Amino acid sequence: MEALLLSIRLALTVSAILLVIGVPLAYWLTFLQWPGKFLVEAVVALPLVLPPTVLGFYLLIAMGSHGPLGRFWQRAFGHGLAFTFTGLVIASVLYSLPFAVQPLAASFESVDRKLLDASSVLGAGRLRTFLRVILPLSIPGVISAIVLSFAHTLGEFGVVLMVGGNLAGATRTVSIEIYDRVQSMDYAQANHIALGLLLFSFVVLSIVYGVNRHLGRIWSPWPAK
Amino acid sequence: MAREMTQAALAAYVHLERAARRNHKFVLDVALELPAGATVIFGPSGAGKSTLLDCIAGLLKPQRGKITVDERALFDAEAGIDVRPEHRHIGYVFQSLALFPHLTVHDNVTYGLANLPLEQQDQRASEILSAFRIESLRSGKPGELSGGEQQRVALARALVTRPRVLLLDEPMTGLDAELKASIIQDLLAWNARHKIPILYVTHSSDEAAAVRGRIIFLKNGRVTGQTASITPATQAPGR
Repeated sequence: MEALLLSIRLALTVSAILLVIGVPLAYWLTFLQWPGKFLVEAVVALPLVLPPTVLGFYLLIAMGSHGPLGRFWQRAFGHGLAFTFTGLVIASVLYSLPFAVQPLAASFESVDRKLLDASSVLGAGRLRTFLRVILPLSIPGVISAIVLSFAHTLGEFGVVLMVGGNLAGATRTVSIEIYDRVQSMDYAQANHIALGLLLFSFVVLSIVYGVNRHLGRIWSPWPAK
Repeated sequence: MAREMTQAALAAYVHLERAARRNHKFVLDVALELPAGATVIFGPSGAGKSTLLDCIAGLLKPQRGKITVDERALFDAEAGIDVRPEHRHIGYVFQSLALFPHLTVHDNVTYGLANLPLEQQDQRASEILSAFRIESLRSGKPGELSGGEQQRVALARALVTRPRVLLLDEPMTGLDAELKASIIQDLLAWNARHKIPILYVTHSSDEAAAVRGRIIFLKNGRVTGQTASITPATQAPGR
C-alpha cells in the first residue's frame, strides 16, 4: 500500500510539473521558428527511443555527489539528490517529457491557422490568442498529455531503479515493490500488488476517458449530430 | 524604391516575391490608392488578391513597399516600420470566415473589444448585431448557423471594433445571389454612416456589380486595369 501511494504521489507530481513545462515547450515547438529547433525536438523525443537504464545511468551520474546537479543540490539544499523522492521526480519528468509534449504539440498544430490570424487582426496578442483560442481548442490534447504522463510515470521501472534505488517509503514505487517480491519468490504478494496496480490504472483511465468524452460532447464547438 | 503616393484613406505599394510551384516565383507588385467607400479587387484565382490583403493586414511582410492608412504608416520597408497585425486596427473577413467555433456569436463579436468595459462591449455588440439583423443568434455557436448567418457574424465581428479599413476576401463564397445582395446591402448601409475604405476581393462579376464600387483588375500579381466608381462610394443603395 505504501508503495502504491508513493507511486501515485510521484505520478501526480510529475503530471503537474509536466503540464507546467510541457505547455510552453509545446507552444514554442509548434509556433516559433528557429533554425536549431530540430535539435530541441530530438532531445525531447530521446526518452522514447533510449533504454530507461541508459537515461537512468546518466541521470544517476549527474545527480551523484560528484555530478553537476548533485553538487548544485548539495550546496543549495544541504543534501544530495540521488536516491531521494525529489531525484525521482526530476528523473521521471525527463523520462515522461515526450508523453506530455507530443500530444500537446499535435493539438496546437491542429488549430486552424486562420483562427490565429483572425485573433491577431482583432487585436489579440500571442498570450490572449493562446488562452482564448489555442488552449480551449486543444482540451483533448491537454487531457491526453495528463493521462499519458500519469500512466507512464506510474508504470516506470528502469529509471526509478537506477536513480532511486529501493528505499521503502522514499523511492520504492509499486513497480520496484513487485520486482522485489518476485526476486524473493513471494509470487502471491507480487500478484496482489500487480492486480491492485492493474485495477487502479484501469479505473483511472476509464474515468478520464469517460470524462473526456462527456467534456468533448458539451465542449465541442460543433453541433451534435 | 517606394513609389510616390498621393494622399488617400488607404495607400499601399506592395512588392512581394515568394516561391511558387516548380521553381517558379510568384511576384506581387501592386500600388493602390483608395478613398473611403468600396473598391472591388477582381481577378482569377492565383492573381495575388488574398496575398495583397494579407500584406495590408500585416499577416505577410512584403520585401518592399509602403502601406498607410489616413497617413499613418503601417508598413514602410525603407523606414523599417512594420506595425504588428494586432495594432493595425484593420477589419478582415477571411474567405473561410474563421469564426471561433468554441465561442458564441456574442463572444465572437466582442472578441476584439477586450479593452472596453463589459457594458460597452455589450452595447457595441447589440448595435452591430442589430445592423446585420442577427440579434436572435447571440447565444448560438457558429456551427449551428447557416452560411448566410455565419457571413453576417463575420462581418459584425470585423466591424464592431470600428476599424479604419475593411478587407473582405471572397466572403460570399457558397451563398445564393439574393442572400449575397442582401448582405452587401447591409454592409454598404453600415459604411454610409462610417465611411471607411472597403477592399472587396472577388472573382464573381455578380458580387463585383452588387458592391457598386470602383473595380480594380488584378492578374498575375499586377493591376491590369480599373473602372471609375459606379455609384458614389459611400452612398448606400436604396433598400
